[in-house]
Amino acid sequence: MSVKYTPVQWNPNKWVYDAVLLAIVAIYISVFLRLGAAEADVSRPIDGAVLRMRAFGTCAFFMLSAILCIGPLARLDDRFLPILYNRRHFGVLTAIVAWTHATYVYNWYFNFSQINRLEALLSSNTAFGQILGFPIEALGVFAFVILLILAATSHDFWLSFLGAPLWKRLHLLIYLAYGALVAHVALGYLQDTENPTFALLFSAAALGVVGLHVAAWQVGRMRSAKGEWVAVCAPGDIAEGRARIVQLGPKERVAIFRYDGNRFSAISNACAHQNGPLGEGRILDGCVTCPWHGFQYRMADGCAPAPFTEKVPTYDLRLEDGQLMVQRHANPPGTAVDPLAVTGMEATP
Amino acid sequence: MAADLIWAVQIYLGLGAVAALGFLGIGLDRIDENARGAWVFRPFLIPGILLIWPLVLFRWWQLERADTEDTEGQGRFRPPLLWQPRLALLLAVAVPVMILGAMVLRQDGPNEAPAQLIEPAQ
Repeated sequence: MSVKYTPVQWNPNKWVYDAVLLAIVAIYISVFLRLGAAEADVSRPIDGAVLRMRAFGTCAFFMLSAILCIGPLARLDDRFLPILYNRRHFGVLTAIVAWTHATYVYNWYFNFSQINRLEALLSSNTAFGQILGFPIEALGVFAFVILLILAATSHDFWLSFLGAPLWKRLHLLIYLAYGALVAHVALGYLQDTENPTFALLFSAAALGVVGLHVAAWQVGRMRSAKGEWVAVCAPGDIAEGRARIVQLGPKERVAIFRYDGNRFSAISNACAHQNGPLGEGRILDGCVTCPWHGFQYRMADGCAPAPFTEKVPTYDLRLEDGQLMVQRHANPPGTAVDPLAVTGMEATP
Repeated sequence: MAADLIWAVQIYLGLGAVAALGFLGIGLDRIDENARGAWVFRPFLIPGILLIWPLVLFRWWQLERADTEDTEGQGRFRPPLLWQPRLALLLAVAVPVMILGAMVLRQDGPNEAPAQLIEPAQ
């Protein structure tokens, strides 16, 4: 199966997603510019450039917080899955907003420096040995470089070229960037403002991110499989033509599909193309269809229909005490497994 | 020190530009069939190559050596989810400490009372 690369893969849903994102950013910046001056320390009035850099800086922070909330929210509740699919555009927009913030800082605080502006930015504060007055510029630069790397490697090509494990590891750097950003704001803007509004919003966003991650981790642990055969759910709990995704371990997820009314098959949740979530796809023309790029697989053997050659691992299923059970260990990709037909459920032609 | 760092970054990005030229002009078509004949998207890859060109060259060499076969085997179906909760839990400890620390150790807070240069009047 082949999908030629395009500069940006848009569809009507992504247009709406991106338009909503842009509108929210525009509203936030407008509101901040209108109200932000009043929120600052009134004893030291700030000028327009500082206000604008704070507007874009805080916007980038809240955007990154929102991005980091999407993953755990989707793991906790399926209804958040639609906002997961276009998260990469969200990330690129965040990097652009952060770039704007950095440009304001660079062109304002270091504009009249006698040395190179970049050199001035890096050398104006080198008090790395103290907490108060710590060079927050270094923290900001560190987080910004990571945001740039992640935005620059967000195209589909990079996932395919680097391979899912390496790409995923690279993109885990987002957690280091977020930690650096929290420190950047906590030791920077938070020290300057006297009004509690920003402090409350900042704390709520950062604690919300870590709270959701801890909650999703705890739920994932409870759902994690133990033993050779893993209980999934009652057969009737899976809607016709849809799947139930089960985490078999820290690295593995399986999708159990129901089709033809009473038949069940289990395949890897990771598409062979770019690790798209097969369990969130639908059954079209008798095949599981990946929601990311439309790659298809037969449920009985995990093979793409001819002439395509992609394969995903399959899993054995059985019924025990009215519960679907899935074998903990996957079969090699493309292994045929007879579908489990559950008696007592109505078969559809 | 800062000037040396900037110089090193400029050298790094310069080498990245050379790597981008070679990879986009020669390597891409050899290791990815989906890229053959697709030219419009290639400029979008330049920033990424500039930033992580050593990784790009390593992966190019790896894919050439494997004759563009799948080099990940079964592992490709198992994304590295192990580190995600570890990093998230590390963040769960670090973020409250940083926020609380910043609230307590404010520059104008109780721990940084301004020095009194003049004795207060009796």
